[in-house]
This record gives sequence, C-alpha cells and structure tokens, in this order.
Amino acid sequence: MEMEGYPKYVALKDGEQVILRPLLKTDEKALLEFFVGLSERDRLFLREDVTRPEVVKGFIENLDHDTILPIIAEHEGKIVGDATLHLARHGWTRHVGQIRMVVAKDFQHRGLGTTLARGLVRHAISLGLDKLMAEVVDNQIAAIKAFERLGFQKEAVLRNHVRDIHGSKRDLVLLSNDVSHIWETMEAMVADFSPTLGG
Amino acid sequence: MAKNEIRIGGLGGQGVILSGIIIGKAASIYDGKHATLIQAFGPEARGSSCSAQVTVDDDPIGYPYVKKPDILVVMSRDAFTQFVPNLKPGGMLLYEEELVDPTDLPKGVKKFGIPATRYAEELGRKLVLNIVMVGFFAGVTGLLSPKAVEKAVLASVPRGTEDLNLRAFKKGFEHGQRSVGV
Repeated sequence: MEMEGYPKYVALKDGEQVILRPLLKTDEKALLEFFVGLSERDRLFLREDVTRPEVVKGFIENLDHDTILPIIAEHEGKIVGDATLHLARHGWTRHVGQIRMVVAKDFQHRGLGTTLARGLVRHAISLGLDKLMAEVVDNQIAAIKAFERLGFQKEAVLRNHVRDIHGSKRDLVLLSNDVSHIWETMEAMVADFSPTLGG
Repeated sequence: MAKNEIRIGGLGGQGVILSGIIIGKAASIYDGKHATLIQAFGPEARGSSCSAQVTVDDDPIGYPYVKKPDILVVMSRDAFTQFVPNLKPGGMLLYEEELVDPTDLPKGVKKFGIPATRYAEELGRKLVLNIVMVGFFAGVTGLLSPKAVEKAVLASVPRGTEDLNLRAFKKGFEHGQRSVGV
C-alpha cells in the first residue's frame, strides 16, 4: 500500500523543522537507536522490548504495509518520532484502525505527536476506515490532549490495566474517533435519489 | 471540439448522477467549455435504475437532451440493456466489466471495460466506484483535461474524503490510459 504525500516537511510549534516519511527497510539502525534512546518510562508503554536488535530487525524485515503503516519523524538524520497505523484487513474490526505513537523526549510537548497522529488520521480516512482507536495510560495527559485535538474522545477506561515504571497499577484509557459520518455524507451523495427531483 | 453527448447509466447508490455532475463541472467550470446535465432517478434510492445525460461542447448548447449518445458509460447490466440500442454507431462504450457483458453493440462501437467496483473495494470503499469510473472516462476519452476532472472531483466530494476520491480517480484514469495504449 502506498502512502501518498510523503516525505513531508513540517515545522513544529517552536519552528524546528522535521521530515515525516514512511519507515524504510534501511532505517533499522536509526530505529534501534531511537528506541534505545527512549526513557524507560516511555518504553514501558510499548508492547515489545524494542531495545533488542533482533526485535527491531524482525519489525523492519516483516514490514507489511497492508497491516501496519509506520510513519517516522526525522531530524538531522535521526529518528525522533514513530507513529503506526495498525489495520485489520480481515474480520470483524476491519473498519477500525489503531494508532500507536512514541516521540523522543527532546521532541515531546512540541506538537510532534499531534502532527504525526494527524497524518495517520488523514491517511486512515483515505483508506475508508470508519473508526480510529488509541490506547493511552491515564497520566499521559499530553498524549490524551493531542488525540482529543484530532477528534478522539474517551470511550472506555480499563481500570488498573497497566503497571507504570514504579510498579503501580494505572488505568488504560481507550480513545476513539468515529469518522463514519464522513462516509455517510458521501453515501447520501451517491444515493442517486432526490425527493424533489425526478423523471 | 465537436459536440459530445454522453449518457451515464447505472443503479441508484452507484453515484451515477454525481458522475454526471463531475464531468459537467469539469467541462464547464475547469475546462472552459459548455455543459448541460439532465438527471433521471427511479422511484427509490437504492437499486432502481437511474441515468444522467451530459452534453459537452465548445459552443453554447441549445438542446440538452441526449437521444443518441456518442459515449455511453454503464455501471449495471440493466443500464447496458436499456441504453445500448441508442448508442451512436462508431461511438464509445465504457462499462463496469464485472457487471456488464457487452454484446450486440451497434456497428463500429469501441468498447472499454474496467473492474470499477473491485478497484473501489480495494481502495477501501465501494462507494467510490463512480469516481473510478469518472477517472476511467477521462483516461479513455481524453475529452477533458485530467487536471480539470481532478479539480471537479475535489470540489464535489465531502470534506475529509478527498484523498480516497483522488486515489479512486487516479486508479480509473490510469486504467483508462492503459486501455487506449497511452
């Protein structure tokens, strides 16, 4: 699956320029460096131990753009953000996409997360998806705000679902963005019906 | 450019009328030509037959009804059966190749097929099949500039759906260009 409109040059809130582009197979070393450079707290929210070279290698080698669309943010040759859109191409949730995102500490609170997520939301809509999901731990206030700015709302809270770096249980917030109304408008346009016109 | 009469036929819900609106808009607003549109709906929204008659000309159009189209675009078997007898000999038939089996055509008709529904599904939404068809029309006929049609597509679809519709247009356009060997 092609991702159109990339690479994209964007300015962050403070004017710093970053490049957004799809992850390439040649990014293995840079991606590993990015993950290793994340704070332990940030890595805790990831599903795998991405500091292990074999995990990153496997991720890169098995890149399947039909199910995972990764966008990275690059600054001065280094990866400073990674956002992925996960798709279920078959089954009962194939109309739903899930966004996952992690940003380097130096680039947090500068609008990069919102920029990355916005790109993926737009791409998800262009794929015809109805609904987008994101999982955020309850104390990731900036991330929650970033998603809310893009139309996400809290849909559910899983109590004591994750453990933070200190071993304390925290709530996992499920955010969703129902974009199906866009398609309902389109559906009405192609209905080929008007109660007042005819012939 | 000589006057071109186009009929688009299909079923309610396939976006037949919107296709006609986009082609007319591309011609008249973005390509500096004249265009008229006549639309005909069935009694129900979905599944009943409907059609659009579009006339495109460099000169003002005095009579908007299309009796013998130069170009027939069909998205359903019923539309093909109903409209093909009136297709002008030597004219052009553009059809949804997985829904229409074009036989008994008037003499000299050139036919071009596209799996528009499948393409639309592969792109993510079946409802953009009409935009695939519009792209195919632009690619095969060369009647309108692709830029004009692209602009008309973007000006006609709901906000937020532009990217998918643009991809649908390109998919149809490229298939059309391949079909005529461009």
